[in-house]
Amino acid sequence: MRLRRSVAVAAEPSEDVPTRGSKAFRRLKALIRKEFLQLRRDPRTLALMVFSPVMLMLVFGYAASFDVKHIRAELVGTQSQALRSALEKNDAFDVAGQVADDEAAAEDDIQHGRVVVAIEVDPRGVPTQVLVDGSRLMEALTVERSLIALQAEASGGAQIPVRMLYNPLLRSADFMIPGLIGQIMVQVGVVFTALGIVRERERGTMEQLLITPLGRLELMVGKVLPYLAIAFLDLVVVVAVARFLFHVTIAGSLLLLLAGSAVFLASTLGIGLMISTVAQNQQQALQMSVFIQLPQILLSGWIFPLAAIPWAIRWISYLLPLTYYLPIARGIFLKGSGLQDLWPNLVVLAVMAVVYLSIATLRFRRSLD
Amino acid sequence: MTEILAESVVKSFGRLSALIDVDVAVPSGALFGLVGADGAGKTTLMRCIAGLYTPDSGRVLPGREGQDRLGFAQQGFHLYGDLTVDENIEFFGRLYGLDHSRLAARRAELLGFAGLEGSGSRLAGQLSGGMKQKLTLVCSLLHEPPILLLDEPTTGVDPVSRREFWDLVEHLHARGSTILLASAYFDEVERCDEVVYLHHGRVLATGPPETLRGEHASLEEAFLAVTS
Repeated sequence: MRLRRSVAVAAEPSEDVPTRGSKAFRRLKALIRKEFLQLRRDPRTLALMVFSPVMLMLVFGYAASFDVKHIRAELVGTQSQALRSALEKNDAFDVAGQVADDEAAAEDDIQHGRVVVAIEVDPRGVPTQVLVDGSRLMEALTVERSLIALQAEASGGAQIPVRMLYNPLLRSADFMIPGLIGQIMVQVGVVFTALGIVRERERGTMEQLLITPLGRLELMVGKVLPYLAIAFLDLVVVVAVARFLFHVTIAGSLLLLLAGSAVFLASTLGIGLMISTVAQNQQQALQMSVFIQLPQILLSGWIFPLAAIPWAIRWISYLLPLTYYLPIARGIFLKGSGLQDLWPNLVVLAVMAVVYLSIATLRFRRSLD
Repeated sequence: MTEILAESVVKSFGRLSALIDVDVAVPSGALFGLVGADGAGKTTLMRCIAGLYTPDSGRVLPGREGQDRLGFAQQGFHLYGDLTVDENIEFFGRLYGLDHSRLAARRAELLGFAGLEGSGSRLAGQLSGGMKQKLTLVCSLLHEPPILLLDEPTTGVDPVSRREFWDLVEHLHARGSTILLASAYFDEVERCDEVVYLHHGRVLATGPPETLRGEHASLEEAFLAVTS
């Protein structure tokens, strides 16, 4: 054995002593750099993270149609009992008791999500125009179908003009893509975050990390930040593809979309971290992630409208972050909704993020016990 | 002065008693060997001493509070196989707070010490078993710890690499490191200042190899005599 030179084994005090904060920052930087290095060496995972959003977009870019019941509706101008009865006959509509004063008031009600459809009625009780919230594709399609049947009864066969607001052509892409952004962030936030941490445990590298000065919080933040960055990259990619490939316009503020997405992402990262504190290996983490992700696809209102989901199951929808993010994404993309409309959803997401991240932090055990 | 200590340590996992009233005290600068069969509790004791496990009762040094004075080469390969040798060294060096120039100096020094020069750009996962153990030792020495815990560092390593690794350990010992080395090989721990027999979570005997060997031909025979 050649011992080319002797080696120092005991630390000597350094003159340039870094502060505690700068040391923590260096450790964090090292951890983040390490994560990206590993991702670079694992092109399959990297490809999955970066290109799967585009694949998902292409697959889900076109929506199927589903019947919806109990669509919130209102009459505009004149009360018409006959029309009201006709609308409520097959449970397709829940007609508000009050009548909106005029078209402007009806548009305001649709803008703020109080109703999905507003039917203008002349003093004789004949429908003259229908305003529909086109940002809610499934409901809008159901409205269109229902009106065909209604025309014969309520207007003596006369054509009722329909004005489709926000998504006048009822394009599936306009409806699906804002929700797809949420799905992609769920995938990155939950699946990849959970796998990233559990992989450290499964390969035994977590044990080596735990013996270093790396703190519990630093470890968590260092593991999460790279995935946060990738999720935002995905967001940009998806928005660009939506804009230039599917020609979806963003009616509202891009800044608000990014801010809302950040809050949503924080809540999904919290779920991913919680999974990582429970799962003992990558297989378990993946199974748990799918278990979390599937309801977000089926029950969040992305494909099936919440109104179409029975209450026995619908309560689960209200535990899912995507349920609250969807109205934000669709509102900004299609309706140009602002903070005044979206703040309740943002608050719920923020509360979810705080709760999930707090639980994850508490569970993230420093030792292997 | 005692640098490594386990005092009346008890550790259980559910119904399994992994450590029962274990006492080990390694004075500063000593090389102690912890020997026993698989499942004797060697790794559990090492992890308690390193602060990775919290003992149910008893006291350990350096423990979690003293981790900055500790280098711990754990059993098996716990570095990043998909990073290169240099990248692993840089990563752990940064975690230990080494700045750029200090890290460069330590990397050159330790790679030379371990005979790993020229391997810096190789992926750690593609190294031989002996080289992986050396890299693990290098990474645990980056912050110049005065205390070293080596948990079965030569298990699964070929005889030549084992001898090379022991040369490194003895060199570190000569330089003043306090070392506790766990092994399943009795011939290895003959080189230690003192040997601790661990069996079914209990310390059976502690002493210099020649004392423990007594009239037996080897430490292994002496151990079998005690356990039978």
